Amino acid sequence: MRIGRFEAILLLGGPVLFLVVFFIAPFALMTIASLQQKSGEWSAGQYAKLATDRYYWEILLETFKIGLWVAFVTFVLGYALAYYITFQVKTRFVRRVIFLVVVTPLFTSNIVRSFAWIIMLGRQGIVNQGLQASGLTSEPLSLVYSKTGVIIGLSYVLLPFMVLTVSSILQNLNQTLLEAARDLGASPLMAFLKVTFPLSLPGVIAGSLMVFTLAVSAYVTPSVMSGGRFNVMPMLIFQQYMVLFDFNFGAALAILLMITTLLLMGAYVLALERRARTLG
Amino acid sequence: MSDDFISVDRLSKRFGPVTALVEVSLGVRRGEFLSMLGPSGCGKTTLLRAIAGFIEPSSGEIRIDGKVMNAVPPNRRPVNTVFQNYALFPHMTVWENVAFGPRRRGVPRREIAGQVSEVLAMVGMEDFGARYPRALSGGQQQRVALARAIVNRPRVLLLDEPLGALDLKLRKRMQVELKRLHERLGLTFIYVTHDQEEALAMSDRIAVMKAGEIVQLGTGEEIYRNPVSRYVADFIGEANLIDCVAEPGGAVRLGPDRAALPYASAAAGPATLMVRPEDIRVGDPGRVDGAVALSATVRDKVFIGQSWRIFAVLPTGQEITVQPGSSHEAERLVPGAVTPLWWPRERGRILVQ
Repeated sequence: MRIGRFEAILLLGGPVLFLVVFFIAPFALMTIASLQQKSGEWSAGQYAKLATDRYYWEILLETFKIGLWVAFVTFVLGYALAYYITFQVKTRFVRRVIFLVVVTPLFTSNIVRSFAWIIMLGRQGIVNQGLQASGLTSEPLSLVYSKTGVIIGLSYVLLPFMVLTVSSILQNLNQTLLEAARDLGASPLMAFLKVTFPLSLPGVIAGSLMVFTLAVSAYVTPSVMSGGRFNVMPMLIFQQYMVLFDFNFGAALAILLMITTLLLMGAYVLALERRARTLG
Repeated sequence: MSDDFISVDRLSKRFGPVTALVEVSLGVRRGEFLSMLGPSGCGKTTLLRAIAGFIEPSSGEIRIDGKVMNAVPPNRRPVNTVFQNYALFPHMTVWENVAFGPRRRGVPRREIAGQVSEVLAMVGMEDFGARYPRALSGGQQQRVALARAIVNRPRVLLLDEPLGALDLKLRKRMQVELKRLHERLGLTFIYVTHDQEEALAMSDRIAVMKAGEIVQLGTGEEIYRNPVSRYVADFIGEANLIDCVAEPGGAVRLGPDRAALPYASAAAGPATLMVRPEDIRVGDPGRVDGAVALSATVRDKVFIGQSWRIFAVLPTGQEITVQPGSSHEAERLVPGAVTPLWWPRERGRILVQ
């Protein structure tokens, strides 16, 4: 069915309009704002302020560190869970239930989920009670209102993304390849290391990219879990806009976050592109 | 038999309500090329996978070289498999695919290079070491899969319909190559196929299977000449299966009021006379001793290049296909003509099932 030009414009028009109104226009406005002073005159002053003040770079670094930690934690937990769902669970029914359990939290508000963790990780919370009861600790650990708390909270919130991307790759894996590996003398562990894991890398890459970018741009969970003790970039940007009403500087911070994230992502993808290409 | 290299003893496999293998027993001799032949669902692949170790038997035993294999995982059996869809590792080069087995077994690196080159040369793929599987044609992938298996010098090579995805000409060529490889390496080959021509062309012995059981085991010639049932007769080559009646006392007739045929049957009742189209001649037997002669009405004839195919109808109404070797006799026939047919007595067989 050939689409005429008019229909094409109509079909594309909707999404493009949406994109322009809710992404390109605000982005353009922000870029302009970042190159202006409060008075409206053009200047590079915002970026100069950024470049000269170490504080913002430290926050940026901390934000990225948290992002990396979250990507790592979700990778370890998410891969294990995805592997379990795909290979260890025998019944389709159980598999679907587990998927439901993993995905449903995404429908709940991040605030609610983060506060739930505050309760669980608090000094009187379940985690501390359990640790003390089992004798592993003598005093309650300070798990919330800290960087650790933010990492835990973000990992929990973003885990479903890793689980879904990895398990979709694992489920499409050709089982005969594993049989061939076993047939050729590989133990189950070697079959995993040499065949399953390398072939699942595209899923791991996709998942960790998603988790990382979501983690460094997260506002709610770090706000709640940090308890005001420290900042991440999104919180900083929010403060510039909503507390200090410095739209220009806030815009500059946002642009900085975006560019640095894009650069990191680009480097990551380039480094792994060679690997991904050989997988056909 | 205790001198069998592989012995399968009353092996059964159930998948829920479905029984894929029913008390199958089979002895494979050292160094032989054995094919398991049958239609889809007959259990031949299940049996192969059980020998490989991918399937745990529900009951029964598998022994290789005297050792019981039931609890042994596939990576510890002296067996290697060539899979139907080749199962080459897409993220490794041809060289790395073939080197996979030796590496897992801890062969020293210096030796691996030599072994891999040797075996790639054997299958004619020595220039393809650096290529990835997706850059290879089906036939090339198949040869790499072969090389990957035989580099480990397994005692037994299992092949699961490896030529199924290839076109006819390539398949015929690969059949010859596989047979040559078998003779050169002296390994025991167990081959699964649904193609009876393939099985006949390559095997020392054939195990014909149906619904989870082996219905006949023997050389190609034995099975062709002396099929044990209608199923086997029909599956291997072409066969005319003519209904007849066996009387108590032994005589066999086409019908109750027909002349007795020179065959005997142990059991009385309905029986099947099997004779292959290429064994039937057109015309009078002349002075051939013990020939079985009858007449039939020609219904149709088709030229198939090397000879004619004649479709005729017996006086009892049954159809019979004749494919005489020489064209002279057949050329003279016209549809509607009544013609005498005969065959040497020993080329016909009475089958009871």
